[in-house]
Amino acid sequence: MIEEELDPNRPEGRQLANELLRDESPEGELLRDELLEDKLSRYVGQAAGEPVIALDEVNQAMIRHWCEAMGDRNPIYRDENAAISNGFPGVVAPPTMLQAWGMKGLGFGEERKGDRSEAFDELMELLNSNGYTSVVATNCEQVYNRYLRLGERLIVYPTIKSISDRKTTALGTGYFITTETDYKTVDGELVGSMVFRILKFRPQSSK
Amino acid sequence: MSIESVQVGDELGKLEIEITRTLIVAGAIASRDYQDVHHDGEIAKERGSKDIFMNILTTNGLVGRYVTDWAGPNCKILSVAIRLGVPNYPGDTMLLTGHVVETDPSSNEVLVEVTGSNSLGNHVTGQIKLVLPKKEI
Repeated sequence: MIEEELDPNRPEGRQLANELLRDESPEGELLRDELLEDKLSRYVGQAAGEPVIALDEVNQAMIRHWCEAMGDRNPIYRDENAAISNGFPGVVAPPTMLQAWGMKGLGFGEERKGDRSEAFDELMELLNSNGYTSVVATNCEQVYNRYLRLGERLIVYPTIKSISDRKTTALGTGYFITTETDYKTVDGELVGSMVFRILKFRPQSSK
Repeated sequence: MSIESVQVGDELGKLEIEITRTLIVAGAIASRDYQDVHHDGEIAKERGSKDIFMNILTTNGLVGRYVTDWAGPNCKILSVAIRLGVPNYPGDTMLLTGHVVETDPSSNEVLVEVTGSNSLGNHVTGQIKLVLPKKEI
């Protein structure tokens, strides 16, 4: 966890501090925006509105685009016989595609481009309007209960788990936001879950 | 690969990934991630980056590929936990290395640690848990 790693007493914290989270702010810049933080705290624990139904079923075309991009030649993602002979029920999706199934994509001009909820979008907007306009992902932990088969459609259940205090990093000052997401089939089977952390920050250049 | 053939300390070998604009954009689009910083260099600069940079979903996919390239098509990944450090910018090369840190013969589970480094430092560090079949007798 990035926040914990900031602890200078831990070797990991020191290493990461050197790599990414170097404190470059001049003294006196660390005053808290208490009003903003009070508003932010209201989002923590929000079940985040309606679950998001994946736009597409697990399908061969999207799997192929993914495998081409990654250079992944594993035959279980495209060859029925190879999948079966390797112990799978048929062609399966790469497990690391889990998050991709719930993404909104480009959409039709809507602002929502991620896989998260309305509450999350609101939270992003609140931070955008306070100058924290940039975003970078820092952690992703995924658990796969099983591999997904062609034709399955997922429902995505995102929750805003935590929002850090304001942190100053090499990229700029901002907040770490952690979401937890469950991925279920339309029948309610939990097939995977994810903890995802981003840094929403005010870029250095726009000080 | 079978669980019997894996030992703690085994190296996964090296995989060099050229970080091209094509890879960054193809990975972003394949993962349905249209955040502008992953395809629009001008906006990426406005947002404080030196260029477009790889999205975390692509990093995740590359780490998954690296592990299954090593373990073979009969492995099953149970979990992937990654942490990002420095960005993957176009023109750089990421070197993936890894080693086995745990094996559990009772559950056939293997834990590997993976690092992906580029010219700026560690882009990604992560732990991947997978299950391997037993050797056929």
